[in-house]
Amino acid sequence: MNSVSPESGLVVAAVLFALGLGGVLARRNMLFVLMSIEIMLNAAALAMITAGARHHAADGQVMFMFILATAAAEVAVGLAIVLLIYRRRRTLDVDEAREMRG
Amino acid sequence: MQGLFYVSAAVAVLATALVVTRRNAAHALLYLVLSLAAVAGMFYALGAPLAAALEVIVYAGAIMVLFVFAVMVLALGREGERQESQWLRPRMWLGPAALAAVLLGELIYVLASGAAAVAGGTPVVVGPQEVGAALFGPYALGAELSSMLLLAGMVAAYHLARRKQMDEKEGER
Amino acid sequence: MSPAGTIVLILGTLIGVLSAAALLIWVERRGLALLQDRLGPNRVGPLGLVQPLADMVKIMLKEDWIPPQADRAVFVLAPMLVLGGTLATFAVVAAGPGLAIADLNVGLLAFLALSSLGVYGVALAGWSSNNKYSLLGSLRAASQMVSYEVFMGLALGGVVLMAGSFNLTEIVEAQRWVWFCVPQAAGLAIFLVAALAETRRLPFDLPEAENELVAGYHSEYSGMKFAMFFVGEYVGITLIAALVTTFYLGGWLGPWLPPVAWFVAKTAVVVCGFIVLRAALPRPRFDQVTALGWRVCLPLAIVNLLVTGGVLLALE
Repeated sequence: MNSVSPESGLVVAAVLFALGLGGVLARRNMLFVLMSIEIMLNAAALAMITAGARHHAADGQVMFMFILATAAAEVAVGLAIVLLIYRRRRTLDVDEAREMRG
Repeated sequence: MQGLFYVSAAVAVLATALVVTRRNAAHALLYLVLSLAAVAGMFYALGAPLAAALEVIVYAGAIMVLFVFAVMVLALGREGERQESQWLRPRMWLGPAALAAVLLGELIYVLASGAAAVAGGTPVVVGPQEVGAALFGPYALGAELSSMLLLAGMVAAYHLARRKQMDEKEGER
Repeated sequence: MSPAGTIVLILGTLIGVLSAAALLIWVERRGLALLQDRLGPNRVGPLGLVQPLADMVKIMLKEDWIPPQADRAVFVLAPMLVLGGTLATFAVVAAGPGLAIADLNVGLLAFLALSSLGVYGVALAGWSSNNKYSLLGSLRAASQMVSYEVFMGLALGGVVLMAGSFNLTEIVEAQRWVWFCVPQAAGLAIFLVAALAETRRLPFDLPEAENELVAGYHSEYSGMKFAMFFVGEYVGITLIAALVTTFYLGGWLGPWLPPVAWFVAKTAVVVCGFIVLRAALPRPRFDQVTALGWRVCLPLAIVNLLVTGGVLLALE
């Protein structure tokens, strides 16, 4: 019943990663930059799962869980920083955050 | 299963493309949730039901809700959309799109040339029990480390979000 | 199962659930009236039984209004998410042996996944209305639902440990010897509290607390879109009662009667319990709700999980 070829999973992961990368580079709104980072992390997770499926092993899903934990911690801290910057500067422009002094 | 995989893949790619091009943060967020759900469908088709469920529970259901909170607290509305259309001119996309396209081409080239090593072996279902055994067996150290990471993230977010102390500091300056 | 059988099952589930929700509206209004020494709706039909139908006709004839300041697409999407997500979850519920639309191996996780997506309907409803009371209501709803989701998952961890499976049919079959409400009494208590918070029912209806927030996240909704929230709430109660039955009360297991009858009877008892709770309890403050979750439910759920795991290991 199961006939998905592993490389098609990897190709989709590559496409998603490229989209996320484009988003990180092109957007100036910090919220969108964070979202694009999420897309890239998710693409990495997809690659892990595909690789795990190829080898019929649980390792891919274990790696996926580590990615999940990383993403959760990253978003919690990242959004807190975004809200803090917005409170100080009243803007979400990433260029405004270039001076990271106090 | 094949059908599920390819339809989910198409939805995921389309929704993701919409995420990076939207002007309204809430709309982009909805598309991102859709994209995550589609990726969960792909996980299921690849024989990883536990990962599929966790993708929706944790990624779409908890992490993305943090973004919803941020969007609601920031309350950007129409103003934000105008700002966004100022920032996001089509010209801005040229460089990033070219770079991302080069990277994508490279990745696909590598995948295509290495296909002989990758191909073969159709996925079978790897159930929650095997994943649990692996997670708390050989990967126990990794599990502990990621719990440390989560704790650190929680402490940091709590510290950053404490408003009172921040205002006091600003008062001193 | 044959495709035709599946379609019949889907239609049967949909009709059954929606008519149960309609009946529930009547039961709740009459039941609350009884408990509060009033009469309740008693004019339309015998004992007022046709009242939900009359309500439906009325609400369909109302003007379907979208406030000009609202984000139109999201405003329309939100109520559909609430009702659709809850209805979709019934797919994994088995009312009898083999009577599940999708007998998934990870059925319990699928329920958690769909209920965690329920946050979006409520949060986006409040955000898209562009009204400060709605926004406050949906902020409350989102934080309440996200945190109680955690305790719900942890409470169900005990059930999964005892049954050794995420599959709902196997969980029911594992209760042949003793219903899980006995060994998992603490888990049941946490699950009930978390489930009430998840469905935003009184005493956890802070997101729509009418004396502070007008009507919370659905202040701006009218007509059919409001009806979707309203029916969604009752479908949600039915769902939670059905799941309490499945996880803790032995599902369709029982002597003499056919399995489906047992399932419906147990679900009805749980639903009536929810209605009595609504009549009996006042609404707490929001910080009290959060504190109850993180200071009582979370430690209790973790201790329950640890003790269950320890006992199971010791018995092995």
